[in-house]
Amino acid sequence: MRSLTFLLLVLAALVVQSTALNFMLIYGIKPDLVLVLVILNGFLRGTREGAFLGFAGGILQDLVGGGYFGMHALTNMAAGYLAGLGEGRLYRDNRVIAAGLTWICTLLAQLIFYLLLVLVRVHVPLFIALVHIIVPVSFYNALVVLVIYGFYYRSHRRGLLSGGEF
Amino acid sequence: MSNLSFGKKLILLGVLVMVVLAGLHFSAANIERLTPLAAAVRDVLSPVQRLVMAAGREISDFFSFPIRLVKLSQRNRALEQQLGELRGTLLQYEEIRAENSRLKELLDFKTSLSPQLTTEAAAVIGRDYDNWFGTIIINKGAADGIRRNMAVITPAGLVGRVIRVSDGTAEVLLITDPRSGVGSLVQETRAPGIVEGVVGGQGKLHMIHIPADLAPKRGYRVITSGLGSIFPKGIPIGIVLEIRKEESGLFKMAVVDAYVDFNRLEEVLVVTSPVHPAAAENARR
Repeated sequence: MRSLTFLLLVLAALVVQSTALNFMLIYGIKPDLVLVLVILNGFLRGTREGAFLGFAGGILQDLVGGGYFGMHALTNMAAGYLAGLGEGRLYRDNRVIAAGLTWICTLLAQLIFYLLLVLVRVHVPLFIALVHIIVPVSFYNALVVLVIYGFYYRSHRRGLLSGGEF
Repeated sequence: MSNLSFGKKLILLGVLVMVVLAGLHFSAANIERLTPLAAAVRDVLSPVQRLVMAAGREISDFFSFPIRLVKLSQRNRALEQQLGELRGTLLQYEEIRAENSRLKELLDFKTSLSPQLTTEAAAVIGRDYDNWFGTIIINKGAADGIRRNMAVITPAGLVGRVIRVSDGTAEVLLITDPRSGVGSLVQETRAPGIVEGVVGGQGKLHMIHIPADLAPKRGYRVITSGLGSIFPKGIPIGIVLEIRKEESGLFKMAVVDAYVDFNRLEEVLVVTSPVHPAAAENARR
């Protein structure tokens, strides 16, 4: 049930990301809400669930988007796993720590996405990719986590996203 | 799954990654086809997207209103001055256009310039989910006569081309997308080149393969060349910002600032008439 709620949240994030977030661009960049959800889920649930729901959320994004199948699945799976490494090691009550982890995981996930783009022969110069996309998105995602972490953490403890094994 | 040994988990993960990579490879070869599932989801989501987009626009307008008000009077003065200059230029252009029409009639010359195009207006209801690509979703699809590879424009200039169509929506590949390439010309020097996107979210474009002896200067205008069968000739693309030498050293490249503000697109026009009417007529015969 919790996994289904998470995937519905991913679907809602996709709708917001393709519509309303385009009015909140900073430097031509919008945050990646799906990646933020995957990272927070990994951080609070550990590597196994982080990677699994990251993969499932990514597949959903690939299916709905109709673009390169598997690109978001692999990227989000890696992000969920990486964030899961912080579970039990990092202090989860602190939103700044969650934002820092989001920054690092987004950076690495976007680098993986860049490598997959090279694989499908989409050429974006590395310097431009770093300066115009990868680093700004990492900061923007971290900023989003600073704002929403309290809600997400409460939901994880006592709300819709609470519960045991998925 | 927790009972599986580490080795088995690793093998399972390896197989999963290989399957996804195979899917990626296959979908990359068929990127311009929308799967039936994606088309259905897109048609179902389009009213929701339209609603959320409209709400987002209203909220954004509300919060940006005071800032816009401050800039408004300053901009108004500049525009009034510009209007005066443009009225004079327009009179000259009208004269040249009339002369041009007369001469074309004399030569029985068929043209594909933008005033002769038939277009279908559409509203932007969504954009790409991430920042890497530059695509928009519009609220007109196959049911409205929209087909793949139709050019998409605004009064300001070229937007892109339709790449995927469902019954009620169409996906437009913006010229800022790194997968886009448009045959183009520098209006002043007639130097040919290809305008490529750099990254989806930015309005900057690169015009590559410009012959070194015809290199444009800063401020020169770039338009579509009409070569190929997708984009009509003479659609404005952007203005040259900077000239550089290409890595090969044989050609020049230019950084181009697009006329269209891709982050604020609300309505677009899809060119539904044949780009080269004469060619289409010949093909029908």
